[in-house]
Amino acid sequence: MTRWFEDIVIDEVFPLGSHTFEEAEIIRFAKLYDPQYFHVDPERARQSHFGGIVASGWHTVSVGHRKMVDALSAESDRLRGLGQEPGVSGPSPGVNSMEFKTPVRPGDTVTYELIVTDKRHSNSLPGWGLLFNQLTARNQRNEIVYRADLVGFSKLRDYRTPLKLKVLLALTRLPVIGPRLRRST
Amino acid sequence: MTNPVTQDRRHFEDLAVGEVITLGHVTLTKQMIFDFAHEFDPLPFHIDEKAAKASLLGGLASSGWQTGALSLRMLVDSFLGTVASAGGLGFENLKWKTPFMVGDTIGGTVTIAQLRRSASHPQWGIVMLDFDIRNQKDKPVMSMRLANLVECREVVA
Repeated sequence: MTRWFEDIVIDEVFPLGSHTFEEAEIIRFAKLYDPQYFHVDPERARQSHFGGIVASGWHTVSVGHRKMVDALSAESDRLRGLGQEPGVSGPSPGVNSMEFKTPVRPGDTVTYELIVTDKRHSNSLPGWGLLFNQLTARNQRNEIVYRADLVGFSKLRDYRTPLKLKVLLALTRLPVIGPRLRRST
Repeated sequence: MTNPVTQDRRHFEDLAVGEVITLGHVTLTKQMIFDFAHEFDPLPFHIDEKAAKASLLGGLASSGWQTGALSLRMLVDSFLGTVASAGGLGFENLKWKTPFMVGDTIGGTVTIAQLRRSASHPQWGIVMLDFDIRNQKDKPVMSMRLANLVECREVVA
């Protein structure tokens, strides 16, 4: 999130927008990353239980990630427009679960939304918090395409570096002592 | 009903828990990172070399989703394209462990961790696949457990 950790509201729905999947892009993605016959070959896909081409789940998820990146940078711009400093999001350590529920067919429009279901301070990374994000994708018939539980880092605004850590960081910047300290920690 | 596309491939009954699939390899180029990131993950440290050098990673790395997509591609080439796959159900416990940097090569193994018949669809079985993706220094890059449907030869009522 590009809000500060402290400003993130649990269970607030964050709409991420929609994407319409065309057959050509479904095939282009799948040829690179998931070339199974029901993703790349309209003729043979008819023999599968899908009855035609469907998008690779990894494709619908990658588009969902793009939607999230776009929405978060728009939120940053909005905060800057109000004269505020936006928050900082960090790397993602992973995905707890991802469930593909309804296949995406050419012409389907998928709408994505994000909800932060929980947050806590990180134990391993001082100054950062962990966000537990639920991303839901639905098609034009409101059927769930996929639901994902993702984890992300978000910077704390109100964090004050402890004095001990400040001293240590200052020491590592000194010549002679610094490199030795950096090697030993 | 026989599916003419998959009839000569391995079916659910032909798979065994503990089977280890050795994946091929893929080497990451700058162009691959830019192509994926422009479409799906246009953050400065994935699309701009200067921003990448200044970032925590200290250089250009793939989007985590690209690492996953390339791992999936290796699985299709070594396994899913040779079995009667009926599509993915999802995955769990995906962990990005070491960044996949430009010039790095990944490979690894996928192990069949579990096999069970679908309760609701007697024509399918579910195979659980554990990914262990590593780079050229044998450092773990990504792991996850993927659930995939496979057609059964015999439908058990």
